[in-house]
Amino acid sequence: MKQYRAHLLVCAGTGCVSSGSFKIKEALEKEIRKRRLQDEVQVVATGCNGFCERGPIVMVQPDGIFYQLLKVEDVPRLVEEHLLKGRPVKKLMYVPPAEDKPVPKMKDIEFFKHQRLIVLRNRGRIDPEKIDEYIAFDGYEALGKALSKMTPDDILEEVSASGLRGRGGAGFPTGKKWAVCAKGKRTPKYIICNGDEGDPGAFMDRSVLEADPHAVIEGMIIGAKAIGAAKGFIYIRHEYPLAIKRVEIAIQQAREYGLLGKDILGKGFDFELEIVQGAGAFVSGEETALIASVEGKIAMPRQRPPFPAHKGLWGSPTVINNVETWATVANIIRRGAKWYSGLGTDTSKGTKIFSLVGKINNTGLVEVPMGISLREIIFGIGGGVPGGRAFKAVQIGGPSGGCIPAKLLDLPVDYESLTGAGAMMGSGGMIVMDDKTCMVDIAKYFLNFLRDESCGKCISCREGTQRMWELVSKITDGQGTLEDISLLEELAIAVKDASLCGLGQTAANPVLSTLRYFRAEYEKHVVDKRCPAMVCKEIVSAPCQYICPIDQEASSYIGLIAQKKYEEAFKVIRKDNPLPSVCGRVCSRACESVCRAGEAGEPIAIRALKRFVLDWAREKGLPAPARFPVTKAEKIAIIGAGPAGLAAGYELVKKGYPVRVFESLPVAGGMLRVTIPDHRLPKERLQDDLDYLVGCGLNIKTNMTLGKDFTLDDLFQQGYKAVFLATGAHKPLEMGVPGEEAEGVLQALEYLKDHHLGIPVSLGARVVVIGGGNSAVDAARVAFRDKRVKQATILYRRTRKEMPAYPEEVEAGLEEGVKIEYLVAPVRIRIKDGRVVGVECIRMKLGEKDASGRARPVPIPGSEFQVPADTLILAISERAYTPYLKDSDGLTLSPEWGTIIVDPASMATTRPGVFAGGDVVSGPSSVVEAMAAGKTAARAIECYLEGRSLVCPHEVTRPSVYVEPVKLTEEEARNTKRAKMPHLPLGKRKSGHEEIELGFTRELALKEARRCLRCELETRDAKKAIGREK
Amino acid sequence: MAAKKKLSIQDLAKIREKTKSLMTIREGEGRARVTVHMGTCGIAAGARDIMDALLAEIAKAKVQDVIVTTSGCAGLCNAEPMATIELKGQPPVKYGDLTAEKMRKIVAQHILGGKMVTEYVLGVGSETMY
Repeated sequence: MKQYRAHLLVCAGTGCVSSGSFKIKEALEKEIRKRRLQDEVQVVATGCNGFCERGPIVMVQPDGIFYQLLKVEDVPRLVEEHLLKGRPVKKLMYVPPAEDKPVPKMKDIEFFKHQRLIVLRNRGRIDPEKIDEYIAFDGYEALGKALSKMTPDDILEEVSASGLRGRGGAGFPTGKKWAVCAKGKRTPKYIICNGDEGDPGAFMDRSVLEADPHAVIEGMIIGAKAIGAAKGFIYIRHEYPLAIKRVEIAIQQAREYGLLGKDILGKGFDFELEIVQGAGAFVSGEETALIASVEGKIAMPRQRPPFPAHKGLWGSPTVINNVETWATVANIIRRGAKWYSGLGTDTSKGTKIFSLVGKINNTGLVEVPMGISLREIIFGIGGGVPGGRAFKAVQIGGPSGGCIPAKLLDLPVDYESLTGAGAMMGSGGMIVMDDKTCMVDIAKYFLNFLRDESCGKCISCREGTQRMWELVSKITDGQGTLEDISLLEELAIAVKDASLCGLGQTAANPVLSTLRYFRAEYEKHVVDKRCPAMVCKEIVSAPCQYICPIDQEASSYIGLIAQKKYEEAFKVIRKDNPLPSVCGRVCSRACESVCRAGEAGEPIAIRALKRFVLDWAREKGLPAPARFPVTKAEKIAIIGAGPAGLAAGYELVKKGYPVRVFESLPVAGGMLRVTIPDHRLPKERLQDDLDYLVGCGLNIKTNMTLGKDFTLDDLFQQGYKAVFLATGAHKPLEMGVPGEEAEGVLQALEYLKDHHLGIPVSLGARVVVIGGGNSAVDAARVAFRDKRVKQATILYRRTRKEMPAYPEEVEAGLEEGVKIEYLVAPVRIRIKDGRVVGVECIRMKLGEKDASGRARPVPIPGSEFQVPADTLILAISERAYTPYLKDSDGLTLSPEWGTIIVDPASMATTRPGVFAGGDVVSGPSSVVEAMAAGKTAARAIECYLEGRSLVCPHEVTRPSVYVEPVKLTEEEARNTKRAKMPHLPLGKRKSGHEEIELGFTRELALKEARRCLRCELETRDAKKAIGREK
Repeated sequence: MAAKKKLSIQDLAKIREKTKSLMTIREGEGRARVTVHMGTCGIAAGARDIMDALLAEIAKAKVQDVIVTTSGCAGLCNAEPMATIELKGQPPVKYGDLTAEKMRKIVAQHILGGKMVTEYVLGVGSETMY
C-alpha cells in the first residue's frame, strides 16, 4: 500500500457537503499540489463525522487534529503552517466542550471504522429507486466525462492504469480484457454483467444491485463506449427478485433520461441494456456457460480459448464482468486511476467487498482496502467468534475457494496471497468457523453442493465430484481408511487438472485445502474413529456417550427412564459402570458439558438421572448379582482398590479371570472412601457398589501394602500372570511458603483421610483453607461441620469463575456459611510458639492467560494483609507417589511428575505383564478417567494373557440397545429448563454429614428424561433398528 | 420524477444541485428525513413492519414535514432492521435491531421531540468513503 505521511480526512457527509466541503477539498488538493506535497499527503473524503454543525470539517491524521468551520481562504494557511512547517493552526481547531454522555460515532464503531467505501459508497444513503438521488451523489458524472472528454482509448488507458482486476474471483486485469475486446474486428460487440451470484454465503452482488443499481449501469455504459458495444445484458438470478425489480426500475429511469438508448447525453453514443434472468445453476457463473444461457441454450461451459473477449455472445467479442467490477468503473473514471491505485497492494488495487457469515459476531457486508489482514476483517470488523469459542478457519471464495486456518490469520487479503494459501478471492464470501466445525464435514458439504451443480459436460468434474463426495462421506461415516485419504487427494488433483471450466478446476479446493491444513482431523476420523468437533453423527452417535471415558450409554438409559423401564435402565448403566452409585453423585460429567439440549437451553441432568435409577434399584431391592463363573486359569493382581483398580477388576472378573485386589488401607474405595465427604458421597452408597462388585466375584484384600507386605516379584512368584498398579496420587504438594512445618498446618488430603478413617484431628476455632479445587471446598465444609470450628474461610488466588471445584459444591459451601476470599495468595505462615496463628496474604489481580487458558494471578505490591487462623489446611494438589517401587522392578517413572510411564493405548508399563493406570499414571484426575484407565488396562491384560496385540482397533460410538423415543406434548417439546435437584434444608446440614443432594423424585426424573433429544437415534443404524428406515 | 426528457451534461449538474439540496435537511423543506434500510436482509428481518409503524405514527401525529424514504442494506446485516434519522442541523443517527415498538418510541421522542433515543442508537454520523 502506498504510504503517505499525512491524510487529510475531509468530511463528505451531507451536512458538510452542503456547507461546502467539496470546495474545501478541491482547494486543499490544489494547494497541496502547489506545495508539491501530493506524494506525501493524501486527501480523503469521509462519511459524516457527526459534527455537522461544525462543518466543513477536516481531520489531519495521524496527528488527530480536527479543523472546523473551514473556509476556502483558510486553506493556504492551513497547508503552509501544518503540513509544511508542522505547526497546527490553533485558530481553526475545535475545542470540545465538556461532553456529557457519549453516544457512539459511526466512525468509531469497529465494524464501520476499518471500512473504505467505494463500491458501497451509496449504501444506506440513497433511495435506489430514485435516479435523481444517484445523480445527487455524483452519479453519471463519470459517464458525462467519458462521453465528452475521453476517447475509447483514454477510457481503456484509465481502467488499465487503475490496476482494477475482475471481482468475480479470478482477478483478470479488467483493462486488459477490455482492450482485447476493443481490438476485435467483428461487430456487434456485447457487454455482460455477471450477477449470477451462487456461492453459499456470498451476497455482495445482490446487495450492490439492490442498493445502487445505477452504479452498475453507469459502469456498463462506460465499458460499452470503451469497447464499442451497443448492447448489454445484466444476468441476474431469478431468486433475487428485489435486485431484478430495482435494476428494472433503474434501466427504465435511465432510459427516460436518455442515459440509455440513442445519442446518450447528446454525445452521439447509442447503448441499450436488458436484464436476463438466470434459473439458478451455479455453473452459470462461469462466463462461457453464462453466455450460453443468455443465448437461450443450456448453461454449459465450453473450452477456452477462444475467450469471450475474442469470441463470446453469438460469436461476437464480448466483455463479461462481475457486478462489483462494473460498479467500480465509474468511480475510477470520475476520480482518476491514480486515486484508485493509491489504495491496496502492489498487485491488488482498490477495495474488495466481503460478506461475513458463519460463526461471527457482526454478520454483514464489508468493503475494505486490499491488503488488509484476515485478522482485521474477522476480529476487528467482524467482532470475532460468538460465545467466546475458538476461531478455527475461514472458508473464502465459496465452494470453489478453500479454508484458511487460524495460524494464517495475519495473511494479507489480496489475489496472490489467497491463492498461495490454497483459497481464492472468489466472489468474496467469508464463512467463519469455530472449533465446533468439523473440517471433513465442511469438505463434504461443499462437495455435495458441487456434485449437484456440476453440469456434467466433462467426466472429470461430473464423476470426480461424485466420487470425492462418496469418499469423504465414507470418512465422515467412520468407515474410511488411510488409503481413502490418499485416494481422495489423488482424485482431487486429477479433477483440478482435467476439468473443463472453473467449476471443476476449483471443485477440489475444499478437499485440498482442508487436507492441507487439517489432515490430522481426517486421520482422527479414519484411525481413531473420532470427530473432534463432534459433528459427524455416524461417528459420534450421542455426544454424551461419545465423550464418556467409560462409554456409558446415557441417552439409552435416559430413553428407558422416559419409558419407565427402570430395571432395563439399571442394566444399561451397570453394563459399563462398576461404580454407578458413586458416579451418580460425584462424576465430573463431561456428558453434560457436550449435551445438545444445552445448546438452546439447559443440558440434561444426566448424573442425577443415573443416581435416580440406582436409588430406584436400592429401594426396589433388586436381587444380589450373580457371581461371574471363573473360566480362566491366569491369576491377576490389582494393587489399589480405588476407581481404577475396581473398574479393571470388574471387567476381568466378567471375563472369568480370578482376580485379587490388594488395598493398603483398612477399607476399600481409595480416594472415594477417604477423601470425598459423606455429605457428597455417603459411605453406605459406596458400600452398595463395593458389595455388588464383591458379589460378582471380586476378591478385595485390605491392609496389604505393596513394598511392605509383598513385592512385585513376589506376586509373579506366587503365580500371578499380570499385575495392574492403581495406587493413586496420595502425596500432597507443598505450597512453598515459609512455615508449612508449623503445628496446626494440615494437608487437606491427610485431614480428610484421618477424618474418614476416624482418626482424631485437632482443629482450632478459625480454620483457613488454601486452594480452589474440590478438596479445598470439601475440607472447608467438613471442618465447618465440626463443633469446635466457628469459622471456615477458603483463600483462592483467582476468581470464582476460575475455581476448579464444581460450582454446585461452591454454592452449597457458601450457603452453609463457608467464606471464600478471591484473588488472595499466601505469602508467609505466621507462627507463635511453633503453632500457626495466621497467614500473611497478598491481593492478586488477573493477568495474561497461562498455558491452562486461565488468567494468571499477579500479586498487587503493597497489598499484604493478615488473616488470623488457628488451623491452616493446604489444598494445593497431589502427586503420584510410588515409594514401593525398586529399580529392579523394571518400571519407568516420569522424572518431572513421578508418575508411571505407560503406553496410553494399553496402559502397559515398561515391564511385560505389569500395567498401570489411574492417578498414579495421569496425576490427579477425575473418578471416571481413573475408571476408564482401569477398563483399558483390563482389555489389554486380556489381550496380553491370550498372546494378542495389546492395542485394539477403534470403533465408532454406538449404544448396545436402541430405545424407542417417547411422544411429547407441545409444551414438553418447548421445555428447555433442567429439573432442579432437591437439597437437604440448610438447617439440617450443620448437625451432621448427611447427604445434601436428595435425588430426583420419580416425577422429576421422568420430566427430565423426556427432555432428552436422543441424539443417538440420528444414526442410520438407529433408524434401521427402530424401524424408521430400511 | 423530472419531466421525461433527454438530459445533457449540464442537466445532470442541475439535477445534482437540486436533489442534493432536497436531500440535505438543513436546506430543504423537511424537518426530518427518515431512511428505512430495505435490502433483502432488512426486509427479511422485518423492515416492512418498521416502515408500517413509522408511517402510522407520522400519520397519527399529522406532521407534514417528515420525509420518509428507503435505501439498501447498510452493511451490518445482523443489526437489521435499521433506520437512519436525520434532523435539520444534526448529524444522521443510525438505529439498529428495531421493532415496531422501538420505532414508535423513536418517532415520539426523536423525530417529534428532537431527542435521540440513546439506548437504541447504533451510531451517529456516517461511514468513511475513500
